[in-house]
Amino acid sequence: MKTDKIRHDNIDQQISVDANVEDQIAHNIVDLLDSRAQELSDEHLVRLAEARSLAIGRLVSQDAQLAGNHRLHRNGNTLQWFGGRFGHYFEQHRIFSTLLVVCVMLLTFFAVQQFSINHQIENSDAFLLASDLPPEAYADKGFTAWLDTN
Amino acid sequence: MATPKELSDFLAAIERRAFKQTAYAVRDDHAALDIVQDAMMKLADKYGAQPASEFPMLFQRILQNTMRDYWRRQKVRNLWTTLLSSFGGSADDNEDRDPLDTIDVGDDSEEPSVQIARSQTIALIERALEKLPTRQREAFVLRYWEEMDVAETAEIMGCSDGSVKTHCSRAVHALALELRKQGLDKLGLSNAILNGPR
Repeated sequence: MKTDKIRHDNIDQQISVDANVEDQIAHNIVDLLDSRAQELSDEHLVRLAEARSLAIGRLVSQDAQLAGNHRLHRNGNTLQWFGGRFGHYFEQHRIFSTLLVVCVMLLTFFAVQQFSINHQIENSDAFLLASDLPPEAYADKGFTAWLDTN
Repeated sequence: MATPKELSDFLAAIERRAFKQTAYAVRDDHAALDIVQDAMMKLADKYGAQPASEFPMLFQRILQNTMRDYWRRQKVRNLWTTLLSSFGGSADDNEDRDPLDTIDVGDDSEEPSVQIARSQTIALIERALEKLPTRQREAFVLRYWEEMDVAETAEIMGCSDGSVKTHCSRAVHALALELRKQGLDKLGLSNAILNGPR
């Protein structure tokens, strides 16, 4: 029992020594890698600086946009502010927005169709009722032929 | 919310390391520069409103994800290239290209013996680092080079703390062994770790 405990203690000690050695090696390696990272060519440094300035430019333009939105909101132009909010929402949910637009277009198309058909029926009914001839005359084939010959 | 100056300072502080880390991972300087630029833009775009103290974690996560995207795209491109080249006959330009050849070992130093020895040592380390499996390299870089703790590294890598420790330990062992093979015993290598129980 006692020997087991001693063995466990030794293993623990060994592991902690290993961890320390690992850390030491890792830090030595990292020091060398770090020194290498400071020796980049001018071409690479220029390219990195460009990338950095592009990123900063993006942040600055975002800030300006945000400030603009807040100003609009403060001035009471809430409609534009809401427009911006909804615009952002639709931009985030592009598929949903596309489906919504397609649905609205289809609904509009069917509504217009329905309305125009009803309108035509109403017109033809009014014509038949206001006509001098009885409505049956228009369904009679002989009457049409007689009209053509005369 | 971080100011543009805070973001600029942060990016200036990490850009060189980020570039080297990416270059070790993708083994292509131009691709590495593109990836770092992408990561910078994404950080500014999506997380510019976050406090500056969160930038290191966020940037590392973005960088790792951008690298993964790059590998995914490369995989698809390679697949198409293979398919098309199988139709197109011989591929003369598809020689065995050793990615290790792309490492810039040269150094325009003025003190030949010391500088050359140091440069060669770093080149060996870089090669050894490139040879590491991706996860081990990721863990090593984040944990030791970026000086993140185990929990932060685990969060970025999307794995458990235990996995990070294992990856780090294996990475250091592999690096130590590789360097030992090259006769570099001056980096604190010891028999305890090289011939240890793990």
